[in-house]
Amino acid sequence: MTMVAHILATTLGVQALGLHGRDAALAYAFGVGVDVDHAIKAPFYLRAIGLRDRKGYYWRSSLQEPVALLWIAPLCLFLGTVVPLLFFTIHLAMDYSVSFEKMPLYPYSRWVTRGWLTGIPDRTKERALLAFLVAANLLLWWSRR
Amino acid sequence: MMQRVMDWFARPVVRFVHLRLGLSPDRLTWLAFGASAAAAAAIAFRQVGAGLALMAAGQVLDGLDGGVAREFGLASERGHRLDTLLDRASETLIFLGFAAARLVPLTLALATIIAVLLLTTVCDRSGFDPGMKRVALYFGRWVPYPALFTLIFGVNLAAYVIGLLVIDCRFQLRMDALGGDLDTVASRAAAGEPSAISHQPSAIGWLGARGAARGPGTPEPSRPRGKLTADG
Repeated sequence: MTMVAHILATTLGVQALGLHGRDAALAYAFGVGVDVDHAIKAPFYLRAIGLRDRKGYYWRSSLQEPVALLWIAPLCLFLGTVVPLLFFTIHLAMDYSVSFEKMPLYPYSRWVTRGWLTGIPDRTKERALLAFLVAANLLLWWSRR
Repeated sequence: MMQRVMDWFARPVVRFVHLRLGLSPDRLTWLAFGASAAAAAAIAFRQVGAGLALMAAGQVLDGLDGGVAREFGLASERGHRLDTLLDRASETLIFLGFAAARLVPLTLALATIIAVLLLTTVCDRSGFDPGMKRVALYFGRWVPYPALFTLIFGVNLAAYVIGLLVIDCRFQLRMDALGGDLDTVASRAAAGEPSAISHQPSAIGWLGARGAARGPGTPEPSRPRGKLTADG
């Protein structure tokens, strides 16, 4: 799922729940910031592919797989808030609706899945979700003015 | 190198406990656990000084088991597992002891225990363990225990996340080496991996150096801290 979609979904959640300060920062960190692992994979891409644009590269890491719930849950216990868990789960749900390969439990399991709604083209899902998120954000923003 | 130097210094004690006292590495491991359990009980009754002294005794015994195993060629994978298991059990009891004494909140103690256990699940494979567990508790005279527990929690959880990323990067090298259809590269690499809980051998890069040095199918090397112990 694109970064824009994650930002819109997180913004919608932050607005809807009325989050501010630390909780809003946590929401963006776990709703959007976990995509930082793409930066970690960038040197690998450059090494393997070079500067060419090649679709299908495995940009994911366990930072944004369900296995990360293992460390996010105790972090929530430590921080005394469920915001990281909630926004990370939203991030996961969005990513798993796009049909590229994912390893949800690596390194504990080698299970590979393509997620859900694989029968619907990715582009259709992404466009529909983007349209919904833009509309919902605008509606919420307007209703609270 | 460091391990060899430490072994050299500990050699007379190691020989004494094994040859004179007849203690095997496993017995030393269990004795260390007994001392740690006693430490946890003392701390729970707010005898923190005595508890820390017992904890120190437990850590010394814990250090000797690996020394005896190496010195007398008694190292085994089963001993290593027992040592790790009892180390984590010791930490769990000690951390709960601090919670029972109300020196730290129970949720903080539980979160810290979980962080330490999580790191244990990947540190052999990632090769990354900062070793910040019980040792921080000795600073309780100068630093409040909640701050020390927060430090232990943070360091171990961060090390766990870093360990996961190191393992991921090794797997990425494996996928990059496969090449071909990128849309199926994860499933192809996963299918070719010897075991989900073993090192992936890799020929390129520092990330794959540990795996490449042993080659596929060879067993896990002992940890640098030398915790391998022998069967009874």
